[in-house]
Amino acid sequence: MTSDHIHPEPTTFLKKHVFSVDHKVIAKQFLWFGLVWLGIGGIMAMMLRWQLANPGVPVPLFGKLLFPRTSGVIDPASYNTLFTMHGTIMIFLGLTPAMIGALGNWSIPLMIGARDMIFPTLNMLSFWTMVMGGAVGFYSLFVPLGATEAGWTGYPTLSTTVGAVGQGETLWAIAVFLIGASSIMGGINYITTVIRLRCPGMHWMRLPLTVWGLFLTSILNVLFIPVIGSAMIILVLDRVFGTTFYVPASIMSGGTGGDPILYQHLFWIFGHPEVYILILPAWGVVCDLLSFFARKPAFGYRASVGAMVAVTVLSAVVYGHHMFTTGLSAMLGESFMLLTMIISVPAEVLFFNWLHTLWKGNLRLTTPMLFAMSVIFVFGLGGLTGIYLATIGTDIFLHDTYFVVGHFHLTMAASALFGTFAAVYFWFPKMFGRMMSERLGKLHFWLSFVPLVIVFCIMFISGYAGMPRRYYDHTSTEYLRPLQHLNVATSVAAFLLGAAQLIFVYNFIKSRWWGEPAPQNPWEVGTLDWTTETPVPHYNFKTIPVVQCGPHEFSNPVLGPDTDWIYQTEKLPG
Amino acid sequence: MNTTGIIELHGEQPVDQAPLETGRDRVNATLGMILFIGSWTMAFGTLFLSFLVLRDKIAVWPPAGIALPSAPIAGIATLVLAASSVFVERASRSLAVAPGAGSDRRASFNSLWITGMLLGLGFALLQAWLWYDLILAGRTQTSGLYESLFFGLTWVHAAHVLVGLFLLSWGLIGSRLRRYGPERRSFISNAALFWHFVGIVWLFLFLGFFVF
Amino acid sequence: MSMLKAILPSLAFLRSRWLGCPLALMLTSTWALAQDKRWGPGEAASDYGYRFHDLFWLITILVSVAFALVVLLLAIPVLRDRERPGHRASFDHGKSLHDKRLTAVISIVTFIILDAWVLVIAMQDLREAYWAIPDAEDPQTYRVEVLAQQWAWNFRAPGVDGEFGTADDIITINELVVPKDRPVSFNMTSKDVIHALFLPEMRMKRDVNPGSINKTWFRPITAGDFTILCAELCGFAHYQMSGKLRVLEQGLFNEWEAEASKLASTAFDADDTEAQWAWDWEE
Repeated sequence: MTSDHIHPEPTTFLKKHVFSVDHKVIAKQFLWFGLVWLGIGGIMAMMLRWQLANPGVPVPLFGKLLFPRTSGVIDPASYNTLFTMHGTIMIFLGLTPAMIGALGNWSIPLMIGARDMIFPTLNMLSFWTMVMGGAVGFYSLFVPLGATEAGWTGYPTLSTTVGAVGQGETLWAIAVFLIGASSIMGGINYITTVIRLRCPGMHWMRLPLTVWGLFLTSILNVLFIPVIGSAMIILVLDRVFGTTFYVPASIMSGGTGGDPILYQHLFWIFGHPEVYILILPAWGVVCDLLSFFARKPAFGYRASVGAMVAVTVLSAVVYGHHMFTTGLSAMLGESFMLLTMIISVPAEVLFFNWLHTLWKGNLRLTTPMLFAMSVIFVFGLGGLTGIYLATIGTDIFLHDTYFVVGHFHLTMAASALFGTFAAVYFWFPKMFGRMMSERLGKLHFWLSFVPLVIVFCIMFISGYAGMPRRYYDHTSTEYLRPLQHLNVATSVAAFLLGAAQLIFVYNFIKSRWWGEPAPQNPWEVGTLDWTTETPVPHYNFKTIPVVQCGPHEFSNPVLGPDTDWIYQTEKLPG
Repeated sequence: MNTTGIIELHGEQPVDQAPLETGRDRVNATLGMILFIGSWTMAFGTLFLSFLVLRDKIAVWPPAGIALPSAPIAGIATLVLAASSVFVERASRSLAVAPGAGSDRRASFNSLWITGMLLGLGFALLQAWLWYDLILAGRTQTSGLYESLFFGLTWVHAAHVLVGLFLLSWGLIGSRLRRYGPERRSFISNAALFWHFVGIVWLFLFLGFFVF
Repeated sequence: MSMLKAILPSLAFLRSRWLGCPLALMLTSTWALAQDKRWGPGEAASDYGYRFHDLFWLITILVSVAFALVVLLLAIPVLRDRERPGHRASFDHGKSLHDKRLTAVISIVTFIILDAWVLVIAMQDLREAYWAIPDAEDPQTYRVEVLAQQWAWNFRAPGVDGEFGTADDIITINELVVPKDRPVSFNMTSKDVIHALFLPEMRMKRDVNPGSINKTWFRPITAGDFTILCAELCGFAHYQMSGKLRVLEQGLFNEWEAEASKLASTAFDADDTEAQWAWDWEE
């Protein structure tokens, strides 16, 4: 039954907080879930950085607990497991739930004036499928014969039984499949909700850009997650049932076998859109927040929407740039290089619009605004360094070095993470009815932003200096030993970055229960989510709102000199 | 209901009784199902793409000199599944007929639906026969690339056939409990859509393995 | 000074075993390496390397200018347009034809300067160098077959007779010897998982896939000892899968080749079919 109908408010604890079908509760569940996993993935990153800076030195504090057999030293196999799971966790269990699960569930119904998602039960199912995926992924760390070690990309034949005998790899594939299923359910729900449940007057060009970003992300989710799902099914068939989809026949003995390169194609057909799956909601949030806090309409709303749509479409046809050294034919290589470069046009439109939105604004540098602006910075840095990697001539040398690591962390990790932080700081008052501490928020921002930029900029240098990624120990090779100082510097900055997140944890937990009660509309913005009371009642809106104007009517002269904003439900005077 | 934006919150209908569908609900449900099928088309498209890429590596197609799955049985299975889809669709449409036909309508739904289900079951048995034949001839999924493709893809498809049969039986139980009617048939029409999708996927597999 | 005195006691935690030791280790490891630091990949040793550097620095200049512009346009509003009493944002949806044209023009101009320029040069480089794999029939081309495995590089050179699959084929492990100034052409495959042949000083990298043969080439222009690394994750000893590339002047190389071929012939075992890998070099 779809949510056009009214559900009674649940009364039991189980129905209210655990198996809830209320989008607001599910959003909070996703948020907690995502933050916990971001923490786990972050600790893994700290351990990786520890090993790289001090190869063979026991991990302090909890090393002996995690690696008892080596008395605290990370062994090479565990190192591979750590970076594999760091990537998998951060992408699938950290950012996906925190960005798409939490933000999408929270903001879509509230911002389009709906009472819930259109398929509330599917929504609940989506969350619990992801929990199952997380559980399987976590369990895979402890199985006999070893956890996954094949990298988050899981290239065969390293990920087939040729390279990985342990059950961990199989469970990893199943976990990715389950999480993908969860994302598809969420995607179907979001798309249908946005199409069908927009309140009267909320036509497409009045949607907040956050909703646009989430809508386009959902389309990518629905179309491209199934590709990785199928790739994972084939991987499991190869591993468990002995088929040979990805296992080639030996070049020496001949015969007919499968094709490991097939997996790379399938993986990146999904993998490149996945980058945009994570980044589009962040872009949407940035578009909105810049306008909200610059007290100025989002510059070129239609162009921004068009650019995001263009990126969504183009993201499907550029995946080959991940495979320039694999052995693509010259024709394919050149085509993918050209297409990849074309994707920079819509990105330039977005940058232009963002910077123009700030220009001659009336900037309120709150914590969410700082994070939103930092997305411009880090995405600019990450996007521009993408040119090195899109160009085959330079990619040949930079491929699989730390240059790539720095690039994709800035684009898909840091931008999506800072977008998530911006969203959390922004919607926290509405979500939990309390304000987060601005002072701690700003401290968190500066202590995250500066080390983060340092970490990944050093990676550009070490990548340019030829340091390959996924190396357990760079000091074991003569050529790489003189680069160790870069590793140490990166690690020091990374530890600072990690420590700064404790401020966020403290701020989040303290504000959640002991923060100052939030007013209904602390940021003075006009989107529908702020028209309803705080905390948001079970049915969101007493009466379904009727939208009269766009989401960004800031500083409109017709509003008069006393106010610079207007609710979307109000009619512009005159 | 919430198209005007001024309807009050509470007291719409008794909460303990699931409400009847509106036309809007049916559109919502169908749209969701279409998105789901679109998604799954990508999933099977991926499998089919893999099939085409790997098939290209096999020098002679179909491979010579080894036991192959029986094309006649597969052909019959295709016809059975197509017939099943037709019956399921007719059953689903019979629900939409305005009331007045009374108990006749339910009876016709049930008989059409059960026929569709039995034909679906028949397809599953024929599929099992195909596998059994091949295994008897000593060919399993580990024997070579052709077998990998055949067993791998038909397994994934068969899993969907099982899900489809489960949905069909669920619909039958619901019908026995008098749950469906002209005002409540989203589940039935969505289950039928899914079943057609499963049939179309099989058609592609059939064409890929036995025809071209 | 008094401030330092105030801070010092709070640093006492450094002396605690669980935190102090690792910190001290980290500092020492940094200083121990202080003598030979490197900030770049070193001098290129192949002609392709110089193409890489030209392109790299061109992109760096373009990207730096673009990024500086972005930062400038971020900084100006932050410094100038902060909220203050009596100040109001200018109301601009950017809907006018002028704005639309400006957006389009700036995006396209940026594309042409940033991307199209690089693209054209890159295409030229690729056609002239990277994809211009030298003719295997040309006697000038030095051919090498690479068989990667977990975790070693097997190289096979044709030896003095210039034919693969003969008794004088030179097989080396983790060491490759090539002549200077001649194109070195590779046919590569793997026994088990995917590896990638990475010659950092030559700015060369190519995946080595099991089940198919991948081709690449380079031309060393400096004699000396260089590095071979694996650049594709291939298991837990991935980081140890390194080797040595020796580039010799043609004269020295001929001496080496003659001796190595002779040695190989004496060690040749026709029954050891495992060792007889050699592939077709035809296109």
